[in-house]
Amino acid sequence: MSAIEVVGLTKRFGPRLAVDRLTFQVDVGEVFGLLGPNGSGKTTTVRLLTGLLSPSEGQASVCGYSIAGAGESLRRAVGLLTENPGLYDRLSARENLMFFIKLNELEPREAWARAAHYLARFGLGGREDEPCGSYSKGMRQKLAIVRAIVHRPKILFLDEPTSGLDPEAARTVRDAIAELATEGSTIVLCSHNLVEVEQLCQRVAVIKTSLLALATIDSLRRSDPVLEIRFAGDPAPFTPAVASLPFATSVSVRGGTMRVQLQSEEQAADVISHLALAGARIYSAMPARMPLEQVYLDLMRRDGVG
Amino acid sequence: MAFHPRRALAVFWKDSLDLRKNKGLLWTMAVLPAMLVLIPAGIVYGYAHDPGDPSLRTMALFYDPSIRTAASAARFLIDKTLTDWFGLYLIMPIFVPIFISSQSVAGEKERRTLEPLLASPVTAAEILAGKSLASLVPAVALSVAAFIVLCILVDLVAWPYTHELLLPNGMWLFGVLVVAPLFAFFGNGIAVLVSARVAEARMAQQLSGLVTLPLIGLVGGQLAGLLKAGTVYYAIEGGIVLLLDLALVVAAIRLFDRERLISRWV
Repeated sequence: MSAIEVVGLTKRFGPRLAVDRLTFQVDVGEVFGLLGPNGSGKTTTVRLLTGLLSPSEGQASVCGYSIAGAGESLRRAVGLLTENPGLYDRLSARENLMFFIKLNELEPREAWARAAHYLARFGLGGREDEPCGSYSKGMRQKLAIVRAIVHRPKILFLDEPTSGLDPEAARTVRDAIAELATEGSTIVLCSHNLVEVEQLCQRVAVIKTSLLALATIDSLRRSDPVLEIRFAGDPAPFTPAVASLPFATSVSVRGGTMRVQLQSEEQAADVISHLALAGARIYSAMPARMPLEQVYLDLMRRDGVG
Repeated sequence: MAFHPRRALAVFWKDSLDLRKNKGLLWTMAVLPAMLVLIPAGIVYGYAHDPGDPSLRTMALFYDPSIRTAASAARFLIDKTLTDWFGLYLIMPIFVPIFISSQSVAGEKERRTLEPLLASPVTAAEILAGKSLASLVPAVALSVAAFIVLCILVDLVAWPYTHELLLPNGMWLFGVLVVAPLFAFFGNGIAVLVSARVAEARMAQQLSGLVTLPLIGLVGGQLAGLLKAGTVYYAIEGGIVLLLDLALVVAAIRLFDRERLISRWV
């Protein structure tokens, strides 16, 4: 069952096209990444899916609620972590959370117990009565996560959750998200931090106003299969033999390793047998995955050229 | 879409709490009532301290050529000061909500707290109601408290000369209890509308503050002897502001919506 169904979603701000005919779906319990450069429409997409903006065209349903008109029911079903934590600095963590507990009309004692549980888990226990203005960036972001989940949303939208954080704080926030993912929450992670997406997400949509790619991370990284072969000895003499194969689109050698770019994974066996016949002594041969960063940059480049 | 009073009260609770912890804003807000109370008390003291001063008669004759003695001129000027001063006093119930609402609406945008708020189940009407209440309650309370202090100070300084209580009188009671809340509503409405359109609290305050200029103009007219203030005069002012309040409610409900707030700010 889909937690989110998006069909032809489009948003214009006056003459400016912010999001163009996006179509994708997110399964229940999935951690889904929304990747794209700054200004690519990620935040607008999240705002559309959380009911903050209404679409110019197209439609989407989130937890079974249509984004056009569900309003309050939709906002009850989702949690949103904005890029900026958006906390009331003069109020304490407890007061910030109590405000959102009241807005969600939750039973205060039970909801606070849940919030306190998450505060403790994220290392904020014992500091709930300090003004949020005195918190570090990482602490603020973790508190904002607790605020986003205190009403037990079915889907959690995280917009650039580690943006502007130092590596240590980013790590603690990522760990917090990973913990939520293990509890079976459906999470939409909006980011241009590829390491984070790679660590946390199962599938990604790469957008730059329109959808550039939609796939699992594994399949994205294997979209152009590369075979990495380690030789006993120098692989250079075998380069012409491999390069002559019609399906080997590029061959490179570094030290004792040869990298052969193929058109499909099945061609790896042909390369290995060809090398064996040519007398090459091979230690190992395995498919090398392209770094997600490379995949992403290629997509952006292709889109720029297109 | 149903209106949930509990959610509006939650917004009121949060904004009131935030205001109580905003010492800078509280001090700024305290200056205006202090001035509006101390200045008229000082003027009344000046007249009552030396009622025989012949220059008082000259001043009084400017407003009313039928004044006969300096003593009666002092009493005339005290009464006129207290009557005209209410026009300036109305700046307080306008300005205090402007201070608070600008902070609470444009301030939410400035501090980036508006998006999480709008992503919660609370409706725009509930936010509007809660924020307006958080601004109107202190404005009206401050107006009444300042009026009580004004009554005490004026009666203290005038008693040796008048031997009677000058305040509260009917006009001031009507003004503080009926006209001032209408002006507070007006100030709040203007600040909410302006705040919904601009990105910074300071700009919202400055633009909203411009609405006090006509009021200052009217008081100028009173002091120049062109306008004669009194209960009917202030009742007419209150009636006009009531009509403006109704127009502001309609405009605020139309303009204060999620999409407009979010897209104006991004």
